[in-house]
Parts: sequence; C-alpha cells; structure tokens
Amino acid sequence: MMAAWRDLPVVRPGDGRVTLIGLLLLLLGWEALARSLADTYLLAGPVQILRYLMEERALMARALTATLGNALAGFVIGNLAAILLAAVALVWPRSQRIVTGVALVVFCLPLVATGPILRVIFGPGDGPQIVLAALAVYYTTLIPLLVGLRAAPSGWLDLIQSYGRGRLATLVHVRLRVSLPYLFAGLQIAAPAALLGAMVGEFTGAERGLGVLTVRAMRGLEVEMTWALATVATLVAVLAYLGIGGLARMVLRDAPPILLAPPRASLPFGTGALRRLGSAAGVLMAVLVLWWGGIAALGLNPFFAKGPQDVLATLITDSDAAATRSLLAQAMAETLILLLPGYLAGLAVGAGCAVLFSLMTVVAGVVMPLAIALRSVPIVTTAPLVVLLLGRGATGTITLVAIMVFFPTLVACLHGLRQAPGQVMDVFDSYGASSMQRLIRVRIPAMLPALFAAARMAVPAAVLAVTVVEWLATGLGIGTLMARAASVSDYNLLWSVVALVATLSALGYAAVGAVETRVLRRYAPEQLA
Amino acid sequence: MNDLRRMTRRGMLAAGTVGFGAAALGLSAGRAAAQAQAALQLSWLHSTQFAGSYIAQDRGLWSQGGLEVSLLQGGPNAPVEPPVVAGTALVGISAADYTAAAVEQGAPFRILGVAMQKNPFVIASLPGNPVNEPAQLAGKRIGMALANTPVLQALCTLNGVDSARIEVIPTQYSPQPLLTGEVDCLLCWETDLPVAMTIAGVDSVTMLMADHGYALHSQTYIATDDSLANRRAELVALIRGEAQGWQIYREDIAAAAALTLAMFPDAGLDLPTQLLQAERQVPLMFSDLTDANGFGWWTDETVAANIETLALLGRKVTPDLWDRSILEEVHGG
Repeated sequence: MMAAWRDLPVVRPGDGRVTLIGLLLLLLGWEALARSLADTYLLAGPVQILRYLMEERALMARALTATLGNALAGFVIGNLAAILLAAVALVWPRSQRIVTGVALVVFCLPLVATGPILRVIFGPGDGPQIVLAALAVYYTTLIPLLVGLRAAPSGWLDLIQSYGRGRLATLVHVRLRVSLPYLFAGLQIAAPAALLGAMVGEFTGAERGLGVLTVRAMRGLEVEMTWALATVATLVAVLAYLGIGGLARMVLRDAPPILLAPPRASLPFGTGALRRLGSAAGVLMAVLVLWWGGIAALGLNPFFAKGPQDVLATLITDSDAAATRSLLAQAMAETLILLLPGYLAGLAVGAGCAVLFSLMTVVAGVVMPLAIALRSVPIVTTAPLVVLLLGRGATGTITLVAIMVFFPTLVACLHGLRQAPGQVMDVFDSYGASSMQRLIRVRIPAMLPALFAAARMAVPAAVLAVTVVEWLATGLGIGTLMARAASVSDYNLLWSVVALVATLSALGYAAVGAVETRVLRRYAPEQLA
Repeated sequence: MNDLRRMTRRGMLAAGTVGFGAAALGLSAGRAAAQAQAALQLSWLHSTQFAGSYIAQDRGLWSQGGLEVSLLQGGPNAPVEPPVVAGTALVGISAADYTAAAVEQGAPFRILGVAMQKNPFVIASLPGNPVNEPAQLAGKRIGMALANTPVLQALCTLNGVDSARIEVIPTQYSPQPLLTGEVDCLLCWETDLPVAMTIAGVDSVTMLMADHGYALHSQTYIATDDSLANRRAELVALIRGEAQGWQIYREDIAAAAALTLAMFPDAGLDLPTQLLQAERQVPLMFSDLTDANGFGWWTDETVAANIETLALLGRKVTPDLWDRSILEEVHGG
C-alpha cells in the first residue's frame, strides 16, 4: 500500500532540478523588477541584498538570534497551549464550543491594543514578543488538531470500547495517532506566524531584533536593509516550514485510515439553533469573566485597561454614545468592503492551488516556496510595495488580505488532500481511474474538513491583515481608528473597537461554521459527533 | 467546584505577581543600597533624539544624584502614557498635545520640562516644487497620517490658508511617496524624514511649522501628580541629569552621536545619519530662553501660546498642566 503522505510532496527530491530552475527564474524576475523600480525606493534586488547581508552580517546575526529565540519560545508555548486546549475539549466535549469560542476571541484581539498592555505587564525584556508569538500560533494549531482528533474511523473506536476501555485509552491509542497529520499541518502554518508575531511584538519597545531594525530601515529610506531583513525573515520561515514538513514525512508512515461514520440524522427543527445560542451565551460569559477577572487579577490601571462596563457606557449610555456608534459603523463599513472580497479570494485561490498542486507536483515544487515566502515576508514590508503596484484603492488592500488568507488555506488543504484513504485510492487504482476522477471522488471530499478549518482560521487572519494595512498604508477604516484612539489615549474608544472586532470575528466564524455543518453532514459526518 | 477552581487560579496569579515583586526588590537591594531606581520611557527607538539621556547614563550623572535610571525604548506600538500611569516608568517623554489628550482621559500628568522648545513638525518638499510658506500649500497634495489632520488644520487656521484646497493623501511615515511623486509634500519631523532624504542624496526643503505660529512644546518630560508629591528627590535627580547631559551634548555633538552608536550596536544606526539628526535638533532644543534660564525652561508667555495652539487642536487645558517646581529646583541649586 502506498503511503499517501508521500503521494503529494511539497518538494520531492526528484523534482529538485525543476524547483531549482523555477527558483532561479524567480530570482531573475525579482532582480529585473527591482532594477526597473530602482528610483521608487521600494524594492531591492537579490544582488544588493546579498551585498548588504555580507557587510552587516554581525548586526543581522544578532537581530536574528534575538527574534528567533522569542519566536521559538512563543512557538513552543503557543502550540503546547493549543494541545492542552484540544485535550480539554476532547475529554470534556461539552466545553469544546466554549474553548474554541474563547480561543477565537483572544486570537482576534488587535495588536494595537494588546501590545502596550503586555509591555506594562512584563516591563522591559522579551515578554511581549514571546506572548504575541504564542498568540499568533495557538489558534491555527488548535483548530486543525480538533479536526484531527475526530478523524478516527468508527471501527477503531468501537474496538477500544469492546475492550471496555474508556475515553483516555481512545485518546492515547486512536485519536492522538490519527490527529498527528493535522497537528503537523498546524505546526507548519505556525512557523511563519510565530516569527511575524515576535517581530510585531518588538514594536512595543524591544531593544533589539528584526522588527526593530525593520521600523528603522523603512523610516530611514534604507531599501536594501528593509529587504535584507525581509529576506532573512522569509528564509528562516521557509526553512522552519520545510523542516517541520520533513519531520512529518519521517514520523507519518501510515496511510490515512478510511473514515466510515454513519451519517447523522438531522436534529429536530430548532434544536441546533437553540444549542448554538446556548454555547454563544457560554462563550460570552467566559469572555466577560476573563476580561473582568484579568484586569482585576493583574491590577491593571483603569486609565488604559477598560472593562466591559466602560465599553457599555461608551457605546450605549454616555451622552455622546450615538456619535461614537456612527463613527464605529462608518469605519467598520470601510473595512468590511475590503475584508470580505479579500477573504473569499484568498480561500478560493488557496484551495484552488492545493488542488492544482496535487495534479501537477512540478508546479508545487516552484510555487510552494514562493507561497511560503509571500506569507512570511512581514506584511509591514510588503504593504507599501503592493500599494505602489496596485494603488491605494481597494485592489491593494484586497490583495494583501487575500495573501494572508491564501497561505493557511493552501497548507491546510494540501494536508487535507493527503488524507484520502489509501484503501479507497487502491480501489480506484484497480479500476484504472484517472487522476481527475480520484481527485473529484476521493481527494476533494477528504479535503473538505481541512478547507473549513482553514476558512475558520482565516477569519482572524483576514482581520489582522486588513487592520495592519489600514494602519500602515491607507489610513482608512477600523485599523486607523484603533491607532488614532491609542495615540490620543482614548482607551474607551480603543476597547470598544476591540470588543466590536472580536464580536464580529466570532460572528463570521459562526457563519462559516453553519455552512460547514451542512456540507460536512454529508461528506465527513465524523466531524459532527 | 467551578468557583473553587477559578479562585485557585486567581490565587496563583496573585502569588505569581508577589513572587515577581519580591524578586525585583531583592535585586535592587542587592545592587546598591543608596541608589534609588527609576525608569525613563523614551518616545521612540534609540537615536541621537535621546543622546542627552545617554550621556547622563554614560557619565554617571544620575548615579551621582543617587539615582539609577533605566532607559525604556519606545516604538510604533509603544505609547508613552500607559507605563507612566502604571508606574513602570517614573518619567515619560511625550508632547504637549498627547499629554493634554491623556489628561482629558483622566491621566494625572504634569509637564516637568520641555526638551524641544520649538515643535519639530515641518512641511517637507522638493526644491523643484517647494513649500516655503503656508500659503504655498494651497493646491498641493500632502502625504501624512490622517491622525495628524488637526495639526494641518491648526497650521491653516493660524496662517489663513483654506484647508479645503489641500489634498490630504494618507501615507505611511516614509519619504518614499514624495520621492516617487505621489505627493508634493510631507508632514513630518525636521529631524527624521528630511535627514533620511539628505543621506540618500536627495535635497529637500523644510518649512518649520513653529516659525509660522504652531507653538507646541515637544519632547516634554511628564510625570504623575503622585510622583510629584512622593518621589520629588528622584524627579529632581532625573531632570538634573538630563539638563547636564544635554549641556554636554551641545558642547560636543560628534561625541554624542558616537556615544549613541557605541551604546546601541543592535539598533542599526549609522554615524552620518545620527550626526545630521543631532545637528538639526540643536536649534529646536536651545534658545535665548534656555540660555538665560536653563535647559527645559518655559515662561507664562510660552505656555499661553501653547494653550492657544492646543485650543486649535481641540484640546482645552489650563496653565497648571505645566509644573516648573522641579526645574526651578534643578536650576536653582
């Protein structure tokens, strides 16, 4: 039986030569673009970057060491937290909606708000960088992991039960094993995110690191330094991605099992909605308790740490509440108009590329490194370039959002395509089915749970992207409103925006979940148990 | 059961905080019994913008006064006000408009000293299409953060320019849109983007807004009422070190720039940029007023001018936002 994991390589040794030629072409194209844009102070070519890196290698090495150390610490802490949360959700299934709901809300908290507070809590040092790196990764590991822990054949679960063993045995012998591919998918997505989180964390006043140097370089018109930093960050992220992928190929030797779960009878009308309403209330309660309790337990100063009651007053009872609401509504409208097309485009292109790569592995060898690179180049560096190439209008922002959504979708879908059960593939092989038939009848249905997991994960990623672009480049929408509120110490407004962003992200997440339930009821009923 | 668990968690968090506190205390007691400790929150990344502070630290000007000062770097996502309110920093470097906004939101701040007597905001343009006076702004495209719209409005009001005739284009804080012709001018600081352009070999024209009625104290030292009441000796020691440090800075700017590079090798600084920045901020920091009365000084007249500009920015403040008692002690004794 052929191991399906090896069936869809990211970069297969045999394709090495093609990959190399592809990358060489990319480098040449980059150099040509850089030279044609030479008088725009926006892009440096590979030759200039290499020269800069040689000259400043000591500085770069020290900055990389600092950032990488924090990213690694955040990566470990964030992923351990994800595993722990997944375990809680599994052992105690009723908590799952609340765990994922609260996890989502925390993941959606905008950096403009959390950064300064983390700095006050931790004081000088690496605390905020590590926490922001951990926050950037835990959610994208938790969601695929929860999918994976349920991707167990019911026959295996029955077997464990027939031996009279309980949930713990199921977890150890079955679920952990089947969830490993999903865990590795999460870890691969997490690698560039951790680096980006650590770099953005440095914006809160860190002494050294790639993020500190990026800010310096961009303001100082040092184009070579800017792109040298982006190149280093990208290379490291790509290496981490490939390293985790290599590890996965070493560890995951079994082909994915067939998942034969009985289709679930649809619930009586109304019950699902009622249950969802109940869990939403549970999430809301948990968030409020954490919010209130967190401020109290950490003894945060009320000048910048606003509680739920302050937000309520700002939005509803204050004399100028109506004006605040219309300000928020206007900014939110500006943001949503760009967010939604970018989000949908990112999902479509990500899933489409995954399918394309599965048909043409050669393309995968060339495009995959580029895709990782696109996601890993810090958005603060790419935003001005994209804005120059595509203008300050809608296209630039939509493209940047799509890039942020595209990568996790692609990775998750590639892993999902690999989950096509080996036995089923063997059946198709013996009938001489074409690769297209196998794709449509086996691989794409096997990919669906991963696609929906990606769609859910991408909600906060899209929000992050759009707010950062607004903050740094276009000066519109909710991202700019947050930065402005922070700069004039209007923390009531800032926390109101944060609450609104988190609520809307959660609603978006729930909307994706509703579509998901309908589709998976047919294609992957084991996910709905 | 649920409540119990939550209480335990809260208890552990509290215990953790106490543990950290104890460790910090133990550390300070171990180092030097006579030295008090304080932090100074800078408003941006390390550069010669704060070279006076570096000199104070390097030459032991603070430790002579019995104070050990740690310098906290700022950044794009590091507002100065929260650490000062929270007590993480004894003093922060702010500006009159940001301080006024924070006070409006309930922060108990006072301005103790004014490092930049003249506001560093300029309109930067290229010699081929220059902005030498406010009237020339009409019909131009200006690149700036939208958050600074009130600043441009105030300049227009002060000089009778119709702000509707200026096209504002929201840009990142970078000279790049000016160099590619996306905009005709930029709202920026005298000491950053024009310096970057000069170093990159591009000549630029700057119009200092302070020369056209925009009176707003910048790089101001702020502290809380509580610190003013209870930590006076430390505040005096800190501001005295600053005053002495900036005096030494003025006497040898090249040495100050070299010291900045030596103290922060990881900041990615280069000497020509730092030197030019250091030179350009001298006329903003020192004036006849400071020559007569000492570093950081202000008078009732300069405060009144500031209050007028702040009113144009939509901030209502009273003269008691400024507290000169610390400066008087520094320069009196």
